[in-house]
Amino acid sequence: MIGQFFGVVMLIYLLVAILFLMEELWSSPRLQAAGRIILWLGLGLQTAGLIGRWVENYRLALVHGPPAAWSEKLRLVILHAPLSNFYESLIFFAWCLPALGLLAFRRYLKGYLAALIAVLSTLLLAYASFGVDSHIKPLMPALKSNWLLVHVVTAFLGYAAFALAFGSAILYLIQERRPRPSLPPLPLIDGLIYRTTVLGFLLLTLGIITGAVWAETAWGRYWSWDPKETWSLITWFIYAALLHARLLKGWHGRRIAWLAVLGFMAVLFTYFGVSFLLTGLHSYLT
Amino acid sequence: MSATRIHSKPKSWLWGTLTSIRLTVFVLLILATVAVIGTVVPQNQPLGQYLRIFGAGWGELLWRGGFTNIYFSPWFLAPTFLLALNICACIIHGLPQAVKRSTRPLTGGTALALPERGQVTWPAEADPHPVIAGVLRRELGHCRWETHQGQEVYLMERGRCRPLGPYLIHVALLLILAGGLIGKFLGVEGQLPLDQGEVANAFQVGPRTEKPLNFQVRLDKFQVSYYEPGGTPKEFRSDLTFFQNGREVLRATCRVNEPVSFGGLTFYQASYGTEATGPIRLIMQQGNQRQTIEAPLRQPVELPGGRGKIIAMRVDGNFQGYGPAVLMAYSPGSGHPLVFWALKDHPELGEQPGPYRFIVESMPLRYYSVFQVKHDPGVWWVYTGFLLFLPGLYLAFFRPTERWALVLAKTPKGRWQARLLGASPRQREEFAARQERLLMELKRGTPS
Repeated sequence: MIGQFFGVVMLIYLLVAILFLMEELWSSPRLQAAGRIILWLGLGLQTAGLIGRWVENYRLALVHGPPAAWSEKLRLVILHAPLSNFYESLIFFAWCLPALGLLAFRRYLKGYLAALIAVLSTLLLAYASFGVDSHIKPLMPALKSNWLLVHVVTAFLGYAAFALAFGSAILYLIQERRPRPSLPPLPLIDGLIYRTTVLGFLLLTLGIITGAVWAETAWGRYWSWDPKETWSLITWFIYAALLHARLLKGWHGRRIAWLAVLGFMAVLFTYFGVSFLLTGLHSYLT
Repeated sequence: MSATRIHSKPKSWLWGTLTSIRLTVFVLLILATVAVIGTVVPQNQPLGQYLRIFGAGWGELLWRGGFTNIYFSPWFLAPTFLLALNICACIIHGLPQAVKRSTRPLTGGTALALPERGQVTWPAEADPHPVIAGVLRRELGHCRWETHQGQEVYLMERGRCRPLGPYLIHVALLLILAGGLIGKFLGVEGQLPLDQGEVANAFQVGPRTEKPLNFQVRLDKFQVSYYEPGGTPKEFRSDLTFFQNGREVLRATCRVNEPVSFGGLTFYQASYGTEATGPIRLIMQQGNQRQTIEAPLRQPVELPGGRGKIIAMRVDGNFQGYGPAVLMAYSPGSGHPLVFWALKDHPELGEQPGPYRFIVESMPLRYYSVFQVKHDPGVWWVYTGFLLFLPGLYLAFFRPTERWALVLAKTPKGRWQARLLGASPRQREEFAARQERLLMELKRGTPS
């Protein structure tokens, strides 16, 4: 039921992408306003869907043992946030993109940039709907921790921020090759890449730190060189190099844009590649 | 300039290299590459595994070259050491300056060096002070006021401590690395397999190496529970009792995500298992015929009348929540053996091949639980690093910084003139907007 709901959200994001693309091609402020409104609508619906899934998770958990005290109830609610398997992580990632995009880009979320972000969300939702098992399964012992919520939320918000930096970088490279007066000027896009990268770096750092603290209580080791951990560290190195190059060496523009693209490739590998190509402690994703 | 420095002063060349950002990026790239190798080559496997996966030549090379334990080999440790040196050098190089900058407040004298952003003039008879004070309070909040060489200077600055941010981050990184080293050299890590009811005085820290405990620990009970039979495991639970000098001191339950600490060591639920302690008694049923057979684990047993062989391959104390079960292989004379689970408490469940049905009459089992045992004095260093990292990131990237000065003086013709000076290295957009508002409101206060 909620699965079909996310299918509708996917179609809405697809529509948003088309609207923003047409807006860019025809320079139409009216289409832009329409795209913006429908994007908010999609985001609202998806938020409702996520809450619905959360409620569903919680209701199913009640079957296996209703909580007695108020604190137990709260813990059960926190544990059953829809963030515990691959399907739910895809949905949440697809939610983070437009949410963070609206927050970080504000009025620059339009045209190609907005279309790209809407397309990414559409693809994530499509993959979740058609390619991934969406059944709700009870939590395995390793995931029963209050760190689950904060670790997954920070990690995916970080991924989303890097996706936004990637989108801005692509826009920069397009604008540099074939300048269009309707697109934001290059220094401004450069600023967007930097701002989203810094945001992503903060969130990825938080994700790694919370993951380490969790691992210390669950496995007795804050760092095990599990492929997921290692790849998140590689990603962190790439963005650390980007920030150093920009702040201390004064790199700007194209070179930073290419580094942001490279960093996002590492993010994608950390998320998808590690889950499918390498085995390790994080393999409860699928 | 740096080229001449290389030839004239070799020491400063070394210092220049150690403090250079080029070294940082170079080392980060090497570390990233080594880490990629570490995720592609499976780590800490026996030699045979590598020979099978990569072939004799490459397998041998990986094994001998330290690539199979790469994070503790020179390939990784040397660049990490270089990175630590690089960070130390940069801290020594830049920290004094940063401290000086963040402890030295903006004064009337230093403010005059800020770039000028605009001017506003008032006629000689007007008093601009209330207007200026009002506008500055609205836009900038609390401002200081000084006189400098006959001029009045209003001062406002935010984010003076920002230069300390990067140093906090890098000190945090050093703390984390130090914590890792401390854990490696001063920490203890091992495994403790315990049978149900067994008391341990020591735990394993290596193959055939034991380390004594200065207390005793007993596994009272180990349980695996399932959400529903055949479903996901719900809980792995070990009930432990700790003894000191033969006296019971603590009873505790160890679960995944809920470790137990005692006597300076922490016990983590790592894995578990079941073993058969004697032969398994089976009833072989065909129609109304019943016959009892005994099958020791992993030994082929001829069925009566030469009608094939069975082997009890493996036991499970709680097979998917259905209770004790044994994995059997049945080979009817020639051909491939057929494998199936026989469940003790649910003899009706599961397909069984061949003309017989095997029912488990009794299987003596022992349950054991395996704990990760460790003591790591480096963890608190690492956590302190984590805690320092966050204010460091905030200061370095998110703390708004701006400095404003409004210099008020009389021109030679007797008119009041205010010059607005200011700078903000990072937030150019916000700064420009604020500058525009400030000038506009100041001008609105002039009578002309």
